[in-house]
Amino acid sequence: MSEEKTYNKPLPDFRPETKPYWEATKNHAMVLPRSKETGEFFFYPRAVSPGDDMSEDIEWVEASGKGKVWTYAIHHMGPSKAYKGEPPYVVALIELEEGVKMMSNVIDVDVNDVHVGMEVEVVYDDVTDEVTLPKFKPV
Amino acid sequence: MASNIPGTEEAREVLKKNKIVIAGVGETDQGKIPDMSSFHFLSQASKLAIEDAGIKKSDVDGLVTAFSLVEHTFMHCTTFADYFGMKPKFFSSVAVGGATAVWMAAEAAMAIASGQAEVVLCVRGDNTLSGISSSGMLALIREMCHGEFEYPYGLTTPGGYALAAQRYLHDYGATREHLAAVAVTMRKHAAMKENAMNKDPLTVEDVVNSRIIAEPLTKYDCSIISDGGAAFIVTTEDKAKELGIENDLAYLLGMGQGYSHQYMTTLENLDQIYNAINRSGQKAFQTAGLGVDDVDLAFLYDCFTITVLLELEGLGFVPKGEGGPFALEGRMEIGKDLPVNTHGGLLSQAHLGAMHHVVEATLQLRGDAGPRQVDNPEVALVHGNGGIVSAHSTILLGKEPLS
Repeated sequence: MSEEKTYNKPLPDFRPETKPYWEATKNHAMVLPRSKETGEFFFYPRAVSPGDDMSEDIEWVEASGKGKVWTYAIHHMGPSKAYKGEPPYVVALIELEEGVKMMSNVIDVDVNDVHVGMEVEVVYDDVTDEVTLPKFKPV
Repeated sequence: MASNIPGTEEAREVLKKNKIVIAGVGETDQGKIPDMSSFHFLSQASKLAIEDAGIKKSDVDGLVTAFSLVEHTFMHCTTFADYFGMKPKFFSSVAVGGATAVWMAAEAAMAIASGQAEVVLCVRGDNTLSGISSSGMLALIREMCHGEFEYPYGLTTPGGYALAAQRYLHDYGATREHLAAVAVTMRKHAAMKENAMNKDPLTVEDVVNSRIIAEPLTKYDCSIISDGGAAFIVTTEDKAKELGIENDLAYLLGMGQGYSHQYMTTLENLDQIYNAINRSGQKAFQTAGLGVDDVDLAFLYDCFTITVLLELEGLGFVPKGEGGPFALEGRMEIGKDLPVNTHGGLLSQAHLGAMHHVVEATLQLRGDAGPRQVDNPEVALVHGNGGIVSAHSTILLGKEPLS
């Protein structure tokens, strides 16, 4: 983290096997893991395919970055002092076109307009020099 | 009843042969009690349960504890054994979140049935309200959600349950009032429980109009945070007689677990949750040879109002989506169709996982529930859920042994 930026919110706890995902987001792109054996996408990214194949042979495929809000929670209280002044904000589960879900924030929208089924697309939030979090805004 | 679940016949034989019982219970004061530590609560609750059974501490040869949110220890059960001054032959720490207390009873039963111990103390206590730091609270959230792919988005614990609640409202056309009715019923019951934290009457409007925490959940949709402890003693009918225990015994008739997901990200749909709840319940029902109609009162995990509706429906007490009207019509109240959480639950009595659920179920079956007493109950169901409605456990307790 650079000295001039002060980002106090939680940063991802990286595991070594997710490096391609976070490298892509840094370049403002989204890749999703897929088992080469079954061709099935999965999320969250991990070293072993969660399917019956248990394969470690995983490929990273560029994703559309488009999806729909599956459910959401309008947070009127953040988890820590770092969120002071931020609420209300939306934490949502986004169903991506690739068929997997991911958790993220829906931003650039009046929180009261967010609804189940809302079409959203990915945007990239460079929260530190090292970390870019994918977030979503209405299409 | 669902198709036969493998293992239930075997479980039935084990419970029938051993006649596993809850023979004593204890509850400390609950509330804001800043001068007591986590291990102090555990000790006091244990003493009360041992005294309630009328046995000596040295009669206890097994120990099952949970975990502390305040005083983290690597080996919780043996840390407590040391503090309390016991040398158990069987010891285990169970950590499946809110499913813990219910599963403690099952684990004690399995230990007894396999000869590991004869008298097992199950205890949980914590000074969560007075002792937890804001960093401790944050650490709890971090343990609940995925540290890499969920935690950075500012999810809170109520927020996790709000994700489930919002989808429930969407799928079933339920309303905030339906959720609120659960909190109102719990408050009515808490008014009759001596050590309940919140006894002031509550209306549906109060709940809906209270401070929003994570929409659609308001302050009163969320359980309370409390200090306190509770314990229960698991043994067999034979051993209870041998020890001269005079309490009416609560017999363990069935037990089961069900799992759907850990992280909300991997949840496919609400049916996955219903199926996990149902599997947990059905395993217990089939072991006992009973069905929902045999249940006289239910203890459903109420860390948030939404979980009670999901469990009512998932266990099969009402069809999917009909838990809300059931709650709103007051049908979970004492004296009505299915009394639920007659002690006020986590929403109004105190939050100690499902410990109080197990204690109250036992007291009700014994006829010792005072002003809350349900008319001659024969069978009580206790259900716990850990994680964000992800890990489930169910037990059935009865006044009579399996026959």
